[in-house]
Amino acid sequence: MSTGLLGRRPSPDHHEAGRHRVFAVAAVVLAAFLVVIGQLWYLQVLEGGRFLDASDKNRIRIRPVAAPRGILYDRHGVPLVDNRPAFTLSLIPRELERAAERRSATLGRVAALLGIPYADLEEAVARVSADSFVPVRVRRGLTLEDVAKIEERKLELPGVIVEVEPQRTYPSSRFAAHLLGYVREASDDQLKHGKYRRGDMVGQTGLERLLDEYLRGRDGGERIEVDAMGRPVRLVQQTEPHPGAEVVTTIDRRVQEAAEQALDGRAGAIVVMDPRNGDVLAMASAPAFPIDRFTGTIDRDAWLAVVRDPDFPMLNRALQSQYAPGSVFKIVVTAAGLQEGTLTPLDRIHCGGEFHLGAWTFKDWKEGGHGAVDLHRAVVQSCNIFFYQAGLKVGGAAITKYASAFGFGHVTGMELGNEKPGFLPHPKIRRGRQVWQGGEVVNMSIGQGAVLVTPMQVARFMAAVANGGVLWKPRLVQRVQSAERGTLYSDPGQVTGHVELSPVVWAFLKQSLWSVVNDGGTGAAARIPGLDVAGKTGTAQMIANSKASRGEDHAWFAAFAPAKDPEVVVVVLIERGGKGGQVAAPIARKILNAIFFERVAAIEING
Amino acid sequence: MVGIDRRLLQNVDWLLLAATMLVLAISAVTLSSLSVGRAGGGGLAVRQLAWVGVGGLALLVIASIDYRRLVRMAPLFYVLGLAGLVTVFVLGRTVSGARRWILLGPISVQPSELFKIVFVLMVAWWLSSRWAQSLGRVTVSLVLPIIAVPFVLIVKQPDLGTALLLFPVTVALLVGAGVRFRLLGALALAGLAALPLAWFAMKDYQRERIMVYLDPFRDPLGSAYNVIQAKIAIGSGQLLGKGIAGATQSRLAFLPERHTDFIFAVFAEMWGFVGCLVLLVCYVVLLLRGFDIAAAAREPVGRLVALGATALLASQVLINVGMVTGLLPVVGVPLPLMSYGGSSMLVSLVALGLLLSVRMRQFQ
Repeated sequence: MSTGLLGRRPSPDHHEAGRHRVFAVAAVVLAAFLVVIGQLWYLQVLEGGRFLDASDKNRIRIRPVAAPRGILYDRHGVPLVDNRPAFTLSLIPRELERAAERRSATLGRVAALLGIPYADLEEAVARVSADSFVPVRVRRGLTLEDVAKIEERKLELPGVIVEVEPQRTYPSSRFAAHLLGYVREASDDQLKHGKYRRGDMVGQTGLERLLDEYLRGRDGGERIEVDAMGRPVRLVQQTEPHPGAEVVTTIDRRVQEAAEQALDGRAGAIVVMDPRNGDVLAMASAPAFPIDRFTGTIDRDAWLAVVRDPDFPMLNRALQSQYAPGSVFKIVVTAAGLQEGTLTPLDRIHCGGEFHLGAWTFKDWKEGGHGAVDLHRAVVQSCNIFFYQAGLKVGGAAITKYASAFGFGHVTGMELGNEKPGFLPHPKIRRGRQVWQGGEVVNMSIGQGAVLVTPMQVARFMAAVANGGVLWKPRLVQRVQSAERGTLYSDPGQVTGHVELSPVVWAFLKQSLWSVVNDGGTGAAARIPGLDVAGKTGTAQMIANSKASRGEDHAWFAAFAPAKDPEVVVVVLIERGGKGGQVAAPIARKILNAIFFERVAAIEING
Repeated sequence: MVGIDRRLLQNVDWLLLAATMLVLAISAVTLSSLSVGRAGGGGLAVRQLAWVGVGGLALLVIASIDYRRLVRMAPLFYVLGLAGLVTVFVLGRTVSGARRWILLGPISVQPSELFKIVFVLMVAWWLSSRWAQSLGRVTVSLVLPIIAVPFVLIVKQPDLGTALLLFPVTVALLVGAGVRFRLLGALALAGLAALPLAWFAMKDYQRERIMVYLDPFRDPLGSAYNVIQAKIAIGSGQLLGKGIAGATQSRLAFLPERHTDFIFAVFAEMWGFVGCLVLLVCYVVLLLRGFDIAAAAREPVGRLVALGATALLASQVLINVGMVTGLLPVVGVPLPLMSYGGSSMLVSLVALGLLLSVRMRQFQ
């Protein structure tokens, strides 16, 4: 055996032992390979599908493309509301800076550039996962100036984008606000129902809410493949948005505008209806809320200011507010009495201005009274004294029976939300018998006391008087149609009741109502030469009637025209306006004028 | 002497070379597929092939030299290697926080990579030296300074992966040298006891990697991003892979380090479980040839050199694939013959050269 360092020759035993040692190491290595292969089997074969999904989620971004909301048209095809492209500021959480202080800096710059509260931006981002690629809409309705500010600094503002979305646009700031209703992002409550996704625009009130399903359409989308930096690589798939369906309403935009103009901001409501089919030609309520701002951008404070306004601009007074009908209700008493035979046109009393019932004294609105009046004159001059006695003769049961038949005390069923049913007094039950208290009946005979009605109910009632007893369900929507799918919904009109009166009674009522306007009655202010207007004034006293609240009566005027062959019913209510004949009748006149004469003028000018 | 006679050529391990060529081919395809359809594509694969050329030359040179001459010179190489490691601290180029490279003209060299070979030779030299005949406690303990000095230098670069690699290679060599298992067991226990100390010596990012290993979802967009994206890439390859065009994780750059340390994930995404099996079988064949060469070596030096070279390659393959598939924490270890990188390619081919050198001289 040599003594050199590397010259040794091992014995065969030694060699054999060395071989075994090598095999031991090789065995360990092979075992480790088996573990690795096992792990690959787990990752690729057992869990492969899950990881494939994860890799698709990595590379595919879905960008929703908002469908334009359906347009609402008036009865002549004139749009009541339209869409225009609007710019929306959005944040993409996943593409914002990851470091907290750098992200804050980005949001801070955006807040400073656009004058948005920084907290709003923070809050918007905090609501969703930081890992999300879905844009969070922060502010809608950016001006072109704002858009330029953001686009110029695009590179310094990662994760901040400007999207283009269709947005509602209105003829004027408060146009038909209650009727149309505003559109806003789905609230947290609405999201809970699962029907909407965050950021969806949803009709919140009025027709926008009622017909939301038709109007929404179906959002389209783009599936985009992006690289790890979020840069789009290619468009994988594109789904075109389906625009919402068109809605043809019964509204006449010109009449609606005339009604809103006539109200002139005074608290009240106007309903214009076609008595032949129940079509609502106009429904106005004032004060109205700024519908364009509610649909577009309104900051929290401005919104709260409107919602908390003591004048309740959000309230649709035509449907959601109830008032004593005042003397308009005398028509019901007259109809009930004549039909039941408890009154005749020949009934005649002397009105001295006061009426005594037990210890109570009821006064006429006219000091000194009307002198000798018959039923016709009593209606025409709205003599309270006559109707106090007439009411007692007709009786509470008959009055409420006919009032109910004319639709009072029942909702019209327009489904615009929160409609009030009004109220009719009930008799007291004594020893199993219905007993009407005299005072109650006396008050009811002139539409005071417990009776409450909505302007829409009065319109339905006047339409029934005009058309001979047919109670139409007020119709707002004629049909919903889409270019792709044809007619989706149509409403042929619905009769909800009949009032059976003898033709003589109808004739008497119409004649009296014509005289109210045209023959020395309380409604003379509604008179229009060349048009036979029939109507009835009403002055509803406030319940807390005192010296201090004088002049705060609600003014009513309910009319139809032409008297012979009625085409329209106009109902005007002005809250705390004063006397119906002085305040409400001239407004009704303006509207009737617009309907019957300005249209002709407009056609002549255009034609 | 440098020079190859016919007898030597008869003993060339062709199977080993075939497996090597196959892995190299897979590497070239994978690297070039990463740049398909991209501007300036293909550059990496070409540069990698250039390194294969250089490495191939080195392989021939090493194979033609008698490994015993190399082992005899091991202490000299070792000192030079340590000098190289120290030089890094003086002249080193910093890339993403680590000083690992020295510029030599147009190319940058990674001394810690080259040191792996030196280390194998050095430990083989010590364990076969006349002072180590008894293989007792003292002899074995003296391996400690041999490993400790370069370990500290490499860890300080920092290059934890390469430093840790010294341990399995040492263990394999100790086993191969015939150290009694009882002594090895004692060493293992001592090593385990030292682990908590290692925790305190680690840098923050290294600790974070351990934490991520234990809980990959603690920071999905931060430190755990690589691990998660690699798992997604591998898993989404499923049984047969998504092909070159469909490998979105790799081609859309969700996968980081995809040319270098994570190239296995790219391959796995493109070719699926079946492809992975093919690649791993290539490695297993290659390593088994290495073990065979060690086992067949007629004297301890040859056995230790062959075993050390094989263990070096085996540890790198297993640690790399283990880390990419989430079995091990992320430490920067390239996949031999696959990962893009000149030094790594050179070292792997030199290790194969050593194996061939031992094989060709097994009957001498």
